[in-house]
Amino acid sequence: MSSLLSVKNMSINFDTPRGSLEAVRGVDIEIPAGMSVGIVGESGSGKTVMCRAAMGLLQGSNVKRSGTVVFDGHELTAMSKEEVRNLFGSGMAMIFQDPMTALNPVRRIGSQLSESLRVRLGMSKADAMARSKELLELVRIPNAAAILKSFPYQLSGGMRQRVMIAIAIACNPKLLFADEPTTALDVTVQAQILQLLRELREDLKMSMVLVTHDLGVVAGNTDYVAVMYAGEVVEYAPTKKLFADMRMPYTEALLESIPKVDHKSGTRLAMIVGRLPDPTDRGAGCSFAPRCKYAQEKCHKVHPELKKDPDGHLYRCWFPIGEAK
Amino acid sequence: MAGSGTAHMRNTVDSVLTVRDLTVEFRVAKDKIVKAVSGLSFDVIRGETLAIVGESGCGKTTLARAVLQLPPPNSGEVVLDGTDLTLLPKENLRSARTSMQMIFQDPISSLDPRMTVHQLIDEPLEIWDRGTRAERDERINNLLNNVGLEPELVLNRRSYEFSGGQCQRISIARALALDPRMLICDEPVSALDVSIQAQILNLLQDMKDRFGLTMIFISHDLAVVKAVSNRVMVMYLGKICEVATPEALYSRPAHHYTKALLDSVPIADPTRQRKTELLQGEPPSPMNPPSGCRFRTRCHAATSRCADQEPQLQEVAPGQFVACHHPIV
Amino acid sequence: MRKFTKPTWFAIGWLGLMMFFSLFGWLLPFKPWNFVFEDDLEVGLFSSGHLLGTDSNGYDLLSSAVAGTRMSIFIAIAAVGLGGLIGSVLGILAAYLRGKIDTVMVTIFNVGLSVPNLVLALALVSVLATNVDINQAVPTWRRVMVLIISLTIVLIPILGRIARGATLSWSGREFVTAARSMGMKDSKIILRHIVPNVLPALIAVAFLAVGVVIIAEASLSILGVGIPDGASWGGMIARGRNDLEYAPHVLYVPIVFLALTVISTNHLGDVVRSKLDSREAKV
Repeated sequence: MSSLLSVKNMSINFDTPRGSLEAVRGVDIEIPAGMSVGIVGESGSGKTVMCRAAMGLLQGSNVKRSGTVVFDGHELTAMSKEEVRNLFGSGMAMIFQDPMTALNPVRRIGSQLSESLRVRLGMSKADAMARSKELLELVRIPNAAAILKSFPYQLSGGMRQRVMIAIAIACNPKLLFADEPTTALDVTVQAQILQLLRELREDLKMSMVLVTHDLGVVAGNTDYVAVMYAGEVVEYAPTKKLFADMRMPYTEALLESIPKVDHKSGTRLAMIVGRLPDPTDRGAGCSFAPRCKYAQEKCHKVHPELKKDPDGHLYRCWFPIGEAK
Repeated sequence: MAGSGTAHMRNTVDSVLTVRDLTVEFRVAKDKIVKAVSGLSFDVIRGETLAIVGESGCGKTTLARAVLQLPPPNSGEVVLDGTDLTLLPKENLRSARTSMQMIFQDPISSLDPRMTVHQLIDEPLEIWDRGTRAERDERINNLLNNVGLEPELVLNRRSYEFSGGQCQRISIARALALDPRMLICDEPVSALDVSIQAQILNLLQDMKDRFGLTMIFISHDLAVVKAVSNRVMVMYLGKICEVATPEALYSRPAHHYTKALLDSVPIADPTRQRKTELLQGEPPSPMNPPSGCRFRTRCHAATSRCADQEPQLQEVAPGQFVACHHPIV
Repeated sequence: MRKFTKPTWFAIGWLGLMMFFSLFGWLLPFKPWNFVFEDDLEVGLFSSGHLLGTDSNGYDLLSSAVAGTRMSIFIAIAAVGLGGLIGSVLGILAAYLRGKIDTVMVTIFNVGLSVPNLVLALALVSVLATNVDINQAVPTWRRVMVLIISLTIVLIPILGRIARGATLSWSGREFVTAARSMGMKDSKIILRHIVPNVLPALIAVAFLAVGVVIIAEASLSILGVGIPDGASWGGMIARGRNDLEYAPHVLYVPIVFLALTVISTNHLGDVVRSKLDSREAKV
């Protein structure tokens, strides 16, 4: 199974007035073709920054990036901005958390949808509109003809997200980045959108990177999961294996601390003490050590390397769960 | 769904808050009125945590603000400890309000960025002249310790120097300053990181136990609500669907909307994914809610009766009330 | 955090100098601005005895410029101060109390904004500060009063709208709701929570407004309805109009003073605004 997207040793630093902010450090990720990979993390984990960087969307004079990104055989990090941009649409596409800011509020939906088709595929105006209508129907928007003529503010959050998905799949991309696509939506709408993404992936044979903070969302929608903490990948495994056989204390603690619908009510939640680490001051040792209930002296002093199990399960811990301590 | 009725009210002397027939409507244009909350009634008993659950647009936040009279509702009564707040003149309302304090969703915007933590928590004490300077300072330190913050480290700093979780702790300390009877928490953990949510939820539980508080907990997150509540009220488009204990609601939902909500919650276990029919479509506009039961346009069990007659809350199991003509049995 | 750039230091320095002249210029050993040096007509820059030269009537340009600071700066600060105070009070109250008061206030603001300021000033001056008998001079202080009043009237809606907009956005914040639920009186909420948060935005705009007012006053003086007899920069320009061909330095002096002052106020206004933005971004 070849890798569609391969990120190697990516580190991203931002220069801020408070010092150098290390958003991502030494991340390696492989996205196999045809698969869906979830990236789970909280604020400061670096997940969003890394995805933007992988797509070449990270700009600014205060950004320092190192490492390589190879997509479908093309080395993005060695290409010019023009060349990377040409890969958008048919190669990679992205959908974001807040559809309102991703859509142009002063242009009609039809116009925004057909733009990508005309620019990228060279379609005529009429053909592009017809195809836009098809795309809206593909994302299950009722009354597609009327929606083509509407403005974003006239649509609900769920509808706008569907429009954004339609724009993203317009040119049949091989890889879809979904950055917290359902976080801002109601739970029933979230379920609908996730189901839509599952169906689209199957129909269009599309790979997906799903970035989220919600373990429940990855459990039902991904083949592989990468867990990020403090700018690093701390665990990576096929989804079923990760949940069945967690290695990282952070992943375990995270799973235990989220309230669940089948939880007994009125009981205290198992919580993780402490706060998320400061990206301007990473410190020595394992970044989770201050909050880890299994932490030992070595954890505070020596930064753990990423280890690989024979079955492909990656983890970054000196004393992973399941091994003799 | 979404009906009304008062079958679920307990009408005991132990009620801290009793709300009857509350209606909140906003006029947004000459002929467009948003019916945010329509004729709702509920009560909260001393020591209870009532959770109000619903998706965006159901009116739960509007309901909370209306209970606090900020702004006052269009009609209905809000009886707190025997006094109807809607009838109070402005001055009396000002002091009556202090028995009910609120925690908001956005932790940082809940605190004035120009004030230090000391000033923030001192403010309520100063308005009502609760003690001498020294007594107030001591109380502030106690409050901060209660919420898990070290006074020396935080007193002179401002909100933007803290994380979301810490800001929420400061808000909780401030809310407890006046010894309220009741705490209304409006999505208090929705804006926080997952690993911090549990901390704040546990803290709220601890404060409730310690100070004998009664709580209203508003959320869209069903899992969070289960962990903290004794009674759950599900809202849809300004009306109540179902009222029950968490155990009953989550294991045997009687209302179709409740069931749809539960079926939509993602499960953090890849081996237990559901294959149920999802709720389709979008909620109708609150400016033009459907006649009769407001949920009928998306309910697969709807009949003509649902359009003609608004369902009232009725008891389908001990302690479980549902407003539906064809509840799930 | 006091890392000001060179332009900012220059702006601060220049404005400081102008303020100094404005307050203490009359103490300095300059000849009066309207003293005629009959022997030194149209003397060029950097000549002995006249650092910036004289004009064709014999007035010393440096003295005139220094005297001009008094008028220009005084009028600008008075107008912006008064206009800002009245405007922000009206704007804040309108936005906080909403309802009919807000609607009325917005209408008043809009009407005010639609009146061109120079036309208004011209009208007021000609009505209130001009004698029917043109040979009898009008006392300067009366002109100054009328000028300040007309500029204030123009500024009220401008600053009022900004105050209103800022108040609208701050009133929606949850800490204001929290204050209300604590039982705080509205008046106290406005003073303690709204005003301190709205003030920085107003101050930034006030700096820019000072620059605009200085130019407005200069324009009026050039037109002849401002400060009479050249006791201001605009007046100097009016007086020196005829010298443009043979002694252009007569015009350069007031123009440079004007330009540097307005550039400085604009720049400081920008600096205050960007410091504000970066602080707001943290919130």
